[in-house]
Amino acid sequence: MTSEPGADPATGTPLSVRGVSRRFGSVQALANVEFTLEAGEIHALVGENGAGKSTLAKIVAGSIRSDSGSMSLFGQPYRPTSRREGAAAGVAHVRQQLSLVRGLTVAQNLQLGRPGAPAIFNAASARAEVERWSDEFSLSVPAETLVDDMPLAVRQQAEILIAVAWGARLLILDEPSSALGPLETRALIALCHRLRSEGTPILYISHRLPELAELADRLTVLRSGRVIVEGADVRAADLREVATLMIGDVSLLEVNRPEIERGTSRLTVNDLSVSSTQEIGCHGLNFEVAGGEILGVVGIAGNGQDSLAKALTGQAKLASGHVVVDGEDISGSARQAIAAGVAHLHEDRSTGLAAAFSVADNATARHVRSGRFTRFGVRLADKIARHAGELVERFQVRPPDPAARASSLSGGNQQKLMAARELEKNPTVLVAHGPTKGLDPEAAKAMRDRCFAAAQAGGAVVVISADLDEVSDLAHRVVVLYRGRVTDAFPIEDMTSERLGAAMAGLTETMGATSG
Amino acid sequence: MSQLLEATFWSATVAGGLRLATPLIYASIGETFAQRAGVLNLGLEGYMIIGALTSLYVADPTVAPLGFLVGGLAGMALAALMVLLSIRLFANQVVVGFGLTILGIGTTGYIFHVTTDVGGRDRQVSLPSEIDIPLLSDIPWLGDAVFGHSWYTWLSLALVLLAGFVASRTIFGLEVKAVGEDPDAAAAKGVDVLRIRTQATLISGFLGGLGGAALMLGSVGRFQPYLTANRGFIALIVIIMASWSIWGAAVGAFVFGFFEALGFNLNNVFVDVPIEGLNAIPFFVALVILTVSARWARMPRGLGENYVPTV
Ligand SMILES: Nc1ncnc2c1ncn2[C@@H]1O[C@H](COP(=O)(O)OP(=O)(O)O)[C@@H](O)[C@H]1O
Ligand SMILES: [Mg+2]
Repeated sequence: MTSEPGADPATGTPLSVRGVSRRFGSVQALANVEFTLEAGEIHALVGENGAGKSTLAKIVAGSIRSDSGSMSLFGQPYRPTSRREGAAAGVAHVRQQLSLVRGLTVAQNLQLGRPGAPAIFNAASARAEVERWSDEFSLSVPAETLVDDMPLAVRQQAEILIAVAWGARLLILDEPSSALGPLETRALIALCHRLRSEGTPILYISHRLPELAELADRLTVLRSGRVIVEGADVRAADLREVATLMIGDVSLLEVNRPEIERGTSRLTVNDLSVSSTQEIGCHGLNFEVAGGEILGVVGIAGNGQDSLAKALTGQAKLASGHVVVDGEDISGSARQAIAAGVAHLHEDRSTGLAAAFSVADNATARHVRSGRFTRFGVRLADKIARHAGELVERFQVRPPDPAARASSLSGGNQQKLMAARELEKNPTVLVAHGPTKGLDPEAAKAMRDRCFAAAQAGGAVVVISADLDEVSDLAHRVVVLYRGRVTDAFPIEDMTSERLGAAMAGLTETMGATSG
Repeated sequence: MSQLLEATFWSATVAGGLRLATPLIYASIGETFAQRAGVLNLGLEGYMIIGALTSLYVADPTVAPLGFLVGGLAGMALAALMVLLSIRLFANQVVVGFGLTILGIGTTGYIFHVTTDVGGRDRQVSLPSEIDIPLLSDIPWLGDAVFGHSWYTWLSLALVLLAGFVASRTIFGLEVKAVGEDPDAAAAKGVDVLRIRTQATLISGFLGGLGGAALMLGSVGRFQPYLTANRGFIALIVIIMASWSIWGAAVGAFVFGFFEALGFNLNNVFVDVPIEGLNAIPFFVALVILTVSARWARMPRGLGENYVPTV
């Protein structure tokens, strides 16, 4: 051992982070972060999407480097320059998007990247080791099944198992419960308690507050890369206050929202459920949106937004319920949805557009089946280009070149191109998923105006967003999604940080249950 | 026609098949490593032809084994360009790969042209003798078909065993698969993705060069422009047929060689059928196998995609 006198590696503070900062381009992901993980504790790190939680985890794990600041591990200065060094120092990191390598088995993953593993892979002993740890923790992790074929919860258990087998001295779990059901979450909590009792401190990243009350000892709140609360005692903390601190001020800046006349109900969502193996899905949603009304669906990303967007646009098979547009049931049929005038601004522009195709082909894609731009099955290039030219002009796509590739446009212009395609005619229903995400102020304003215009023309608008400013700028009414369910619904005038924070972090549901 | 019923026809075809398969075995084993690591290494034809020319020019004044080795190193040198441009500088793998193939064919043709005196002596090597294994080579039929090959063939078979072991039984083999299937996750587990891809690509260059050298020193003996005649691309087909398995690549290479030899030998039987038609047999068989194997073939998920690390 090379430990300095006076610094006993067994008793030193497991992890101390001092003044760590990290910037990605123009985003300050972490700013001067101070954080301490004590021996024998489960320390929850909470914060909104983009708060910097995963960045901090990766820096501690050694996967990425900080721009400034210092760390120490069990009393020793700690400056990992690679993930391998972090692992060798005993830091285990279970990533948000898991790091079991697909295409390999758990036994193979056990040995991959393992510090000090022999160069020859001994399949039999790796299998035996997986089975031994699996029994030890009463899990059922299969040693020789391909990771691809295992459910998410089992993959996660396998990762924790591998961390323990590697002799982790400190465990980081990044949003481990975000894809788990209630039973699986209980099992995870039990496993964490077991590890804590055996002396492994855990840094547990989450934004689901209810489970933390049961799980964690202390909590730290990050917001926009800054520590807002450091190491508060979870049992003494007011979780509602924590939820409020997490999201910060929601200010109702009046962004000259136009007066819009409210019409009759155009979109009815009735007992809507979508089940999905990869995401949380959504469960028993009910709401109506009138013509001229903008409904904001808020929630931290990954709480069923994708499933809802797909269901509203006919792209998901429904487990139950109906999506009705102007009295017509469009459930599960994208073609019917388009025919009924449903427009969709996809959250991910690279998926929402055919990136390798021209601006003209993208702009006119909704007409592919209409026959308007073909004769005897042959595409009429002139007519397409002329029509696309008009659309590009109307929606101010720059450069105004119908022959340019969609992928060559800037993000803002891709968004305008997607709007040109979807909003050529006034939609009956507009589903706008993160419509201003990542746009500069000018492009963001243009997109907001498109949403207002759709409502003014009598359309029902649903804005799905994890960005609270975006919703407060646009919506007349808000529903909050948490784990695929609606936890609260209110008119925009009633929106406060407290109410929104509690609903987004899942406290409303819990409060509802306990207060009867 | 009656020749088709004779045992010697078939033993000669199997023997010829194995001989023709030898360069393919080297090349496809190496390429399998690169592709398992996620590198779509389309410069293979280039590595082979550089290896072939270099091996001749080294073996002619010295000895064949030295020429063989240096041929491998020449292929590896060309693969180093793939490493630099695609793996380290993130240039499109397909573009760089084809570029290296064209570079290899062009450069070797040029070097051959300027170094051969018009009407003068061609560089030439004598072909290797067959290695007789006492007793085994004397077994009727089997002796003719399977034994009695040059050391290039024997070495290629030993290589298959070694490569199969490395791919499935070593941590390096796991790392290769990991960076080809799921580079992000592999990096998060501490695997240096770019290093492993570099190593796999250099292996592919070395074995591709050896494949070209084996073709030159083992069965042709003198250089001609575009000597490799698409064998690099055939190796690429073999790998798909084999669904990226080492054993499968070896079998696939042999199947190709066998049908190629069958085409040659049938030419002596059916003298009226144009040789071009018979030469097409292996490609026709490949088409059938590719169609069938598409049912189970699973390519490495990250194949052809450059990996850019975040630090
Ligand atoms: N590799 C990266 N490149 C550019 N920006 C990044 C990268 N990783 C994270 N960011 C940005 O840093 C901020 C913090 O991200 P992250 O740590 O993932 O947040 P959290 O885990 O709290 O949701 C976000 O704005 C995110 O967009
Ligand atoms: Mg995160």
